Amino acid sequence: MNTVMINRVDEAEWQAVADEQIVGHGDVSYRPDGRLFVSIDVWQDEAFDPLAEAMLGELPTAVLHTLVGGEDAELTARWERAGFAVERREWEYLLPTRAAVAGPVPEGVTILPAGTADEGLLRELDRTVRAQVEVAVGWHTMPAELRPHPAGDTLIDPSLYAVAVVDGQYGGLIRVVSRGNRARIGLLAVRAECRRRGAGQALLGHTLAVLDEAGIGTAWTEIDQANTAATALFERFGARRTGHLAELVRRPH
Amino acid sequence: MPRIAKGLEIEGTVLECLRNATFKVELQNGHQVLAHISGKIRKNYIKILPFDRVLVEVSPYDLTRGRILFRYRN
Repeated sequence: MNTVMINRVDEAEWQAVADEQIVGHGDVSYRPDGRLFVSIDVWQDEAFDPLAEAMLGELPTAVLHTLVGGEDAELTARWERAGFAVERREWEYLLPTRAAVAGPVPEGVTILPAGTADEGLLRELDRTVRAQVEVAVGWHTMPAELRPHPAGDTLIDPSLYAVAVVDGQYGGLIRVVSRGNRARIGLLAVRAECRRRGAGQALLGHTLAVLDEAGIGTAWTEIDQANTAATALFERFGARRTGHLAELVRRPH
Repeated sequence: MPRIAKGLEIEGTVLECLRNATFKVELQNGHQVLAHISGKIRKNYIKILPFDRVLVEVSPYDLTRGRILFRYRN
């Protein structure tokens, strides 16, 4: 391959060109929480380092983030050459729905199946648990797809949420999206004052039982490796790791 | 200015999730490619599932390989 030329296409995109062919793309974007994420995709290995050098030289001297497939040692090494270091990992889990042993719902806890919760109370619960996470470990540690929402609204589709009512108040929620014979558990959260009451276990057991009844054999979720409580809960239901993502960070010198 | 060739972009449907964030995708033209997810998708935590409709950039160096650039809302 001839010399790689780097073009900045616009404020957020770079191209690596060799032999009159685009051999790589670089992209940068701010996430809603203000963090600046970069990504680079190349068809030729030789294009990565020049792209990274050009992008990092032109970007503001801020903390930069990127995500790499956990098994992709080659890509991880490339980012490490560019000054990034692994800061956190999130594991992907598969859960068999049939093997789930839900157990009885604890006293004082009632499960409202998906689509039956009061929308206003559900939105309030969602805002509360997110605020509680934000002041604790930070929402940025939550493995969650970010979609554009109207300002202040984080609820995607109220019909996707089952809710645990604890002593009369909305105390926990779980969001599940089904596709084919698989389902993705996108969020499971219990407000701080309702924890250690079995609400999370009841929500997960209820959800897996519903999926099993619907003929969906497998559920899928992601858990930050530091979230030992969630890891223990899902592993009790037979979850097994299938892969992970690594978040790498480059801090200004 | 010399013409710069861009990779072939074509829509497809995810058939299967394989290991290491690789997916078997059937393209509109009936061909199947092994595609990994682009960094842009990964950094937005967009998850790809079987039956998702996606936009794939086919490798100019290997027409059986590709990169998922975009996931359409189903």
